[in-house]
Amino acid sequence: MNILQSKDFLAGLAAVLIGFFVIVTTSGYGFGTPRQMGPGFFPLTLGVMLSLLGVVIALGALRRQEKLPKLNLRPYILVPFAILIFALLIPRVGFGPAGVATVMLAGIAEPDTRKLHLLLLAMGLVPAVWLLFAVGLGVQVAFIDWSF
Amino acid sequence: MGVLESLELGFAVAMTWENLAYCLLGVSVGMVVGVLPGIGHLAAISLLMPLTFHVPATAALVMLAGIYYGAQYGGSIASILLNLPGTASSAVICLDGYPMTQKGRAGPALLITTIASFVGSILSIIVLIFMAPPLAQLALSFHSADYFSMMVLGLVAAGSISQGKPMIGLASVLIGLLIGLVGIDVNSGAMRMTFGVPELFSGISIIVIAMALFGVVEVISSIGKVNGRARDKTEITLRGLMPNRKEWRESFWPMMRGSAVGTGVGILPGTGGGSMAAFMSYAVEKRTSRTPEKFGTGAVEGIAGPESANNAAAQSAFIPTLTLGIPGDAIMALMLGALMIHGIAPGPRVITENPELFWGLVVSFLIGNFMLLILNIPLIQFWVKILQIPYRFLFPAIVLLICVGVYSLSRSTVDVMLVAGFSTVGYLLIKLGFEAAPLLLGFILGPMLEENMRRSLMLSRGDFATFIERPISAGFLGLAALLLIWVIKGELTPKTPISVTHDV
Repeated sequence: MNILQSKDFLAGLAAVLIGFFVIVTTSGYGFGTPRQMGPGFFPLTLGVMLSLLGVVIALGALRRQEKLPKLNLRPYILVPFAILIFALLIPRVGFGPAGVATVMLAGIAEPDTRKLHLLLLAMGLVPAVWLLFAVGLGVQVAFIDWSF
Repeated sequence: MGVLESLELGFAVAMTWENLAYCLLGVSVGMVVGVLPGIGHLAAISLLMPLTFHVPATAALVMLAGIYYGAQYGGSIASILLNLPGTASSAVICLDGYPMTQKGRAGPALLITTIASFVGSILSIIVLIFMAPPLAQLALSFHSADYFSMMVLGLVAAGSISQGKPMIGLASVLIGLLIGLVGIDVNSGAMRMTFGVPELFSGISIIVIAMALFGVVEVISSIGKVNGRARDKTEITLRGLMPNRKEWRESFWPMMRGSAVGTGVGILPGTGGGSMAAFMSYAVEKRTSRTPEKFGTGAVEGIAGPESANNAAAQSAFIPTLTLGIPGDAIMALMLGALMIHGIAPGPRVITENPELFWGLVVSFLIGNFMLLILNIPLIQFWVKILQIPYRFLFPAIVLLICVGVYSLSRSTVDVMLVAGFSTVGYLLIKLGFEAAPLLLGFILGPMLEENMRRSLMLSRGDFATFIERPISAGFLGLAALLLIWVIKGELTPKTPISVTHDV
């Protein structure tokens, strides 16, 4: 099996990359001394530890290999996208349209669901949730707000 | 303050209409999410966290805690009726609960698990009442070095006693610690890892992390997986709930042993969510049983023990959380997060400085458990019905609630985008074996760990020996080191995986 398909190797690689990213970002923060820890002391130490741990994890993959599990690809793309759309739409069109778009987009992550059913769900759900938050909890958010 | 006075205060706080209502809301939501597979109590607590901004601290904790132990009750229903664990900690209930359903004893199984949950919780709450104040008293004498070492032990335990591989668990803790540092460093005023985004200056909200890692990631992995389940045909009537005399007799001692196991395990750090307690109790029951061959075919002992254990663990997990400020699992980390949102610094002073919060919460556990007992038995038909809500209509609602919940924190679209971002990266990391629970623990403890380290080193003039010169600190670090050695040894020796389903 190709090492690049090994779960542990990739996990170790991810840890190393995150560790390096932290090291690069925080190396300019002022390390200080143990007695007077600077803002960079703690994150830099953690970043180094994470990178080293990543190397250990990746080396472990040489002994025992486990295949990468399959990703649930359709929901993996659609669900975060639906959330992103909510963030982009809500200041521009208000809660109602943004909510409907989010429910529809998230809903089609399950391919068997009928669009009409989803639309009905959104019609009921979105106003109910808006009432709960805007009226019930007093969150300042307009239901419809066309401000392009 | 004596125990009686304290409980009196607790009742006065918990019996207000407001707190009773939040308790009822919490346990009901807990029951629902416990029953439903594909949405766990972690997701539910994350979903309701934004509500805690709008209510007083005590009410918020009462509600969030109610979700937690309510879900422990509800989780067993799906396990018994459908062989599908509603929560991780009730997975073990499937082993003997579902065979009981197949033998036509679903009703008694449901009643016994309800009683077992109740017994386990109550016994554990009693331990909590007597143990928490002296423990907090003891912790008051801790110095910053002791705290640092205690947190290190907690984090090492959380990372290494997790479900997956210990090394990756520890890496998850480190990633969490790092995410916890994002924002302005309180000590120097320096911006750390904010990349010039003003919304990041005050740090990333625990709600954003919890929603992404427990809410969205769970939704992504459940879609298409929890749909095609068999429709439940079992008819359950009130009369059919009554166990016979033999079943009563056989479940008494397992409940007692289960409660003891659960209370003990729940106090330990890193044993999260009650599943370890439930599995241990199952093993204990099987070993002490005179008829171990009956296990797996519908033995009452196999549901009574573990069910008491996971509920007992759910309650005793509050002991270290509220007295030391060290959460044992992700749920307790969320509880601490809720405390901090209300400006209450977790630690041994919570009991003395906020007695109404502590005792009100403890008494609300008692009340909540009574509510659950009452909710559970007559409404059993209703809970069975809830099981039939198709997930494909449920998850779009969850996604919408996540969006609006996060947005309501500070009406910031950046927070919502962060959820999308963290769930995208988080799903990949979790697929690679990283774990959300230790990450969240690291996230919440990160700033405290740094602060205590800084303080200890300042007092010792930069000498790291301070961590091993103080006996308490040395003790904690020694335990952490032992744990690490044990874990590394386990990694190096080839092992046969412990299979829980077939042979405990």
